[in-house]
Amino acid sequence: MADGARIDDPVADTLRKLALVFADFEQRLEATPLIRKLTRGRFELADYHAFLINLRQQVKDGALWMSRAASNIGEDHLELRSTLMRHAVTEHRDFRLLEADFVASGGELAVIRSAKKNVGSEALSAWMFHEASKPDPFGLLGAMFVIEGLGSIKAAPWGRQVKERLSLPDEAVRFLLYHGENDAEHMAEFEEMLRMVLPDEAVAERIVMTAKVTARLYALQIEEIGV
Amino acid sequence: MSDARLRDVFITGTGAFLPGEPVGVEAMEDHIGRIGGRSSAVGRRALRWNGVETRHYALTPDGRPLHSNASMTAKALRAALDDAGLGTGDLEFLATATTQGDYLVPGHAAAVHGELACGPMEIASHQSVCASALTALKHAWLSVRAGEAEVAATAAGEFSSRWFRPEFYEGTTLVDAKGRARVEADFLRFTLSDGAGAVVLEPKPRPEGLSIKLEWIDLTSLAGRFDPCMWAGSTFADRSDMRSAWSHAGPVAAHASGAVALVQDFELLKIVIRAWIGVWLEKVDTGRIDPARVDHLLCHYSARSLREEIVGLLESTAAMIPEEKWFSNLSSVGNIGAASIWVMLDAFLKSGRANRGERVLLIVPESGRAMVGFAMGEVV
Repeated sequence: MADGARIDDPVADTLRKLALVFADFEQRLEATPLIRKLTRGRFELADYHAFLINLRQQVKDGALWMSRAASNIGEDHLELRSTLMRHAVTEHRDFRLLEADFVASGGELAVIRSAKKNVGSEALSAWMFHEASKPDPFGLLGAMFVIEGLGSIKAAPWGRQVKERLSLPDEAVRFLLYHGENDAEHMAEFEEMLRMVLPDEAVAERIVMTAKVTARLYALQIEEIGV
Repeated sequence: MSDARLRDVFITGTGAFLPGEPVGVEAMEDHIGRIGGRSSAVGRRALRWNGVETRHYALTPDGRPLHSNASMTAKALRAALDDAGLGTGDLEFLATATTQGDYLVPGHAAAVHGELACGPMEIASHQSVCASALTALKHAWLSVRAGEAEVAATAAGEFSSRWFRPEFYEGTTLVDAKGRARVEADFLRFTLSDGAGAVVLEPKPRPEGLSIKLEWIDLTSLAGRFDPCMWAGSTFADRSDMRSAWSHAGPVAAHASGAVALVQDFELLKIVIRAWIGVWLEKVDTGRIDPARVDHLLCHYSARSLREEIVGLLESTAAMIPEEKWFSNLSSVGNIGAASIWVMLDAFLKSGRANRGERVLLIVPESGRAMVGFAMGEVV
């Protein structure tokens, strides 16, 4: 005996479905070998280096697919285009921070810069650029929800655990630690972006599906580390 | 799924038992003791977080037990039977719930049946943490629903304070060289307390007064994705390695390694809370629960303990039940683990707030290894 679903607010409805995707995503991440090492106190410096090397590709690509997506947003949604462009500008140098963390924790710059993408990163990157190349690629809002949620919810606690476990100074864990501020602000801004494209049933469905695919591929990227 | 062969099931009686007098914040440590003779450094913080003002202990300040877990559970059960106008002789099935019984073996239900000293009946012991209240309820509910019993009951009890005495920590790795207890162990000492609660189930409502028709009971475990979050029986660092479990190490080595006391992983708890919320959102999303159709929410978690961002998420996803619909007596009776939800329901039904036709939702999240249970009922 179910109460029956209420569909009266398309933004709340989509956000709820996205929150469900994120909950499943977080649980998958928790069960990956790398994160298990971190939470079980068996995380070594080599694991941190592998983590940074494998995150870098996605971080570097992030601003690029966002810019591409912005360039494919039509004139009817100029405000959304502006928002994506601002996001891309804010984030497009983040991978340098990550490289600096790698060096500050004893890694060699040439190593992280020349590292190849793992299977998951290849798939994730190909998927993001493919989606961003479509006209009005609103589904990518779902991808942003997943990836930004990771930054605002998971990165800082991971950073604190890495720092404590490996006795690293703050300047070797800046990329992870500096995320996670203004979570409420992020959420409000994201709701605003949803309102720019909703109500539209097909778009809402695409946003949730894009979030699901992105979450699965992102988790695959983390699963592949050290395997 | 409805099936003509299945019967409707009603809660026809509730009972609670709280040992001793209410104990205020200032007297708490007199009852649970001071580790190494020192006052706790984290107690105040724990109390601010859980919002408990008074609680009950079955231990006197000099360490004398006033009851056993089984005797408290039996008292709550007798009260529930009495409330339903029945006696122990009418009971055909009893499912009990507890986190830690008086014995390691056999189960808590046998100890409670022993206390009742009544004739033969069917029993089952459900052991987990708080959500065992609902696993036991589901067993009793199904038993009546399927026509296996005419009168079934579920009773839950906790005697947590016994596990919080200093000797569980002193001389173990849970206490550092300066005599300070690890936060992960000490925090729970200020969180949990003692008591018992019970409900009686029948295939028809009680002749007079209010009953609750139980519509459905859903339980979800996410243990396949998480390490234990609140546990006893293994060391903190190696909880997932069964060689460090007390059952492998033996009692003496286990005690020294800190594997006997109850501990909580607070980093993991934050993640587990989001996992509970995920299960809740799924119930709302699939239409199993429409928050607007819930008149009273009895949740084994305080609305005030939910962090701002969680409340924000619930509000922006149209999944929040407004705080004025939450009924809780957590702040006055304490967090009694598996017994809490029945002590809360008993107080709710006796508060005069319930009216016929209103829908009541019970939610029991359990941090043990990420589980959450829901029960939906209608006041009839």
